[in-house]
Amino acid sequence: MNEQSKVKINQLPTGVPGLDEILGGGLPEFSFNIIAGAPGCGKTTLAHQFIFANATVERPALYFTVLGEPALKMLRYQQQFTFFDAAKLNNAVRFVNLSQDLVERGLEGVLEEISKQVEAANPSIVVVDSFRTVLRSEMHEGANMAVQTFVQQLALLLTSWEATTFLIGEYSESELRDNPVFTVADGLFWLFQQVDRNSVVRKMQIMKLRGQASVPGLHTFRITEDGLQAFSRTLGLVGQRKTYGTARRLSMGIPALDEMMGGGVPEGDSLLIAGSSGTGKSLIATQFLAAGISAGEPGIAAVFEERPNEYTARASEFGLDLQTPLTEGRLEVIYLRPLDLSVDEMMQEILDAVKRTGAKRLVIDSLAGFEMALAPSFRTDFRESLYRMIFALTAIGITILSTLEMPETFTELSFSSYSISFLTDDIIRMRYVEIDGELCQIMMVVKMRRTAHSREIRKYWITTDGIVIGDRLKNYVDLITGIPQPLSALRTEEPLPNRKV
Amino acid sequence: MTRSADALTTRELAQRLLAFEAVEAGTTNADTHAVGRVCDKLRRPLTTLAGAAGFRSLLARALTLAKQESPVIAAWEVNSDGSLQGLNGEAAQSGAVLIAQLIGLMITFIGESLTLRLLHDVWPDLPSPETNFGRDHSK
Repeated sequence: MNEQSKVKINQLPTGVPGLDEILGGGLPEFSFNIIAGAPGCGKTTLAHQFIFANATVERPALYFTVLGEPALKMLRYQQQFTFFDAAKLNNAVRFVNLSQDLVERGLEGVLEEISKQVEAANPSIVVVDSFRTVLRSEMHEGANMAVQTFVQQLALLLTSWEATTFLIGEYSESELRDNPVFTVADGLFWLFQQVDRNSVVRKMQIMKLRGQASVPGLHTFRITEDGLQAFSRTLGLVGQRKTYGTARRLSMGIPALDEMMGGGVPEGDSLLIAGSSGTGKSLIATQFLAAGISAGEPGIAAVFEERPNEYTARASEFGLDLQTPLTEGRLEVIYLRPLDLSVDEMMQEILDAVKRTGAKRLVIDSLAGFEMALAPSFRTDFRESLYRMIFALTAIGITILSTLEMPETFTELSFSSYSISFLTDDIIRMRYVEIDGELCQIMMVVKMRRTAHSREIRKYWITTDGIVIGDRLKNYVDLITGIPQPLSALRTEEPLPNRKV
Repeated sequence: MTRSADALTTRELAQRLLAFEAVEAGTTNADTHAVGRVCDKLRRPLTTLAGAAGFRSLLARALTLAKQESPVIAAWEVNSDGSLQGLNGEAAQSGAVLIAQLIGLMITFIGESLTLRLLHDVWPDLPSPETNFGRDHSK
């Protein structure tokens, strides 16, 4: 069948930020959908967001309530959400109570009343809440109409009348098998509410969606005063491939470091600054952002240990004015510390900030703070999530600088406690060393993907003008262990060829 | 206590509804009929929102509150079908108390804005829902 002869399935906006993307563009018009999940996971709110986003006076939404939460209470609570539009009530959004029909006449009565209301109102959307109570009542009372027949007739009726339908039900995953409701449904939305230690994480899965490709897997969502907000696992960036086309280098704001890196950090790279506490990782990150601002490249700082005003105040101590670009919208400081954050939410925040500012540079300060801000259940997937995030952001041309605090050891040089060095294109290691009875700081460029870089180990200082990098430390060996030996001391020993191994 | 603070405006609203219906009823017992008609007209939207049993519960609660305010209606009862029984000559005065309590309950549950919208749907001659009644009834 060629493209022209295919039926075009219109997609309706769900009214839930992020959900259209997960669904592959929106909800298929005239589809017959189930929203399932445990009590309190947001099923009714999701349906309300959809109807308030789509219902019109000409093509209203009919919201049938059955034995569950009465519309009176529903209205009491739902009007607290910002999407609730009281002006639509009773014209574009109409509630119909079917409890009596169900009690007195069973499923046949319910179907008859729904038919009557649908034919009279010509709705574009129909919601039955809770559909589960309709079927449960049938099972208890013994019925003259099989559940499957009822569901099929209902689906046929509502599709014939060109209504997009949501049936809401409190189902558990064990009920998925051999359930006629799920068989008939075009779309199956499953909402979860997982408790891990003291945090609660909400997730949704589009288990089925006929007619279009949705993003598979579990997607986190949050319920705020604006209703549900969903965060796609891929945030729509899955199709993008990272290209290494440009040879442009971005200045780190420290000329000597640019030189060590072979001309600066390649645009679109992910750079890791690893070092122990107090080595100046955050300062390098700040200088990197400030250099970008000076070069006309807006930036974003995702910070977890400082508030935005503290962040700019600290920068000013080193002569860096970040307050002006922050005020002018060329810099955004994202401060997130909710302790039940998901990486996807963080990504969404960053992407929104990228859209607002046109940012080219992103600082994540620090990865440890980021991990701490995540809900415990997300921490187990931190590496995988970080990989998705870094890949997605660098694919759209953002250059990322992440800082990572490393425990200082004096026997080895490790690059990452997360084993995430493979996620980064470039690594700079900073550390303390003891030289001549003095605690000094050294820096080295450990890795630059696809490009030559300096192999030098150089001493540096943190000054009021920022990081100042000195010359190569030529007169020591074992610098990377933190306890170097002066070469002169070695020269007093036996000549190398005669040393015993 | 808070409810009595709202009573003035909800009472005025109730009196308006009763006045509308008294004109419509146009019989010798216009006041008595008006109370029944107002309750009956409210039955439809409230049954839609709360079910038949829900409407009956709301009316029964409103009647209980109204009896505290106006003991002369002690004999009034709500039938199982949600209709009123035992209305007598005190209807003109006490009917407004009952209807005000019912409106007060609606405001308590769904807020002033939605309540006025629902009333306006039934009585389009009422001031529009956007009208500021000079007091926020939401609790």
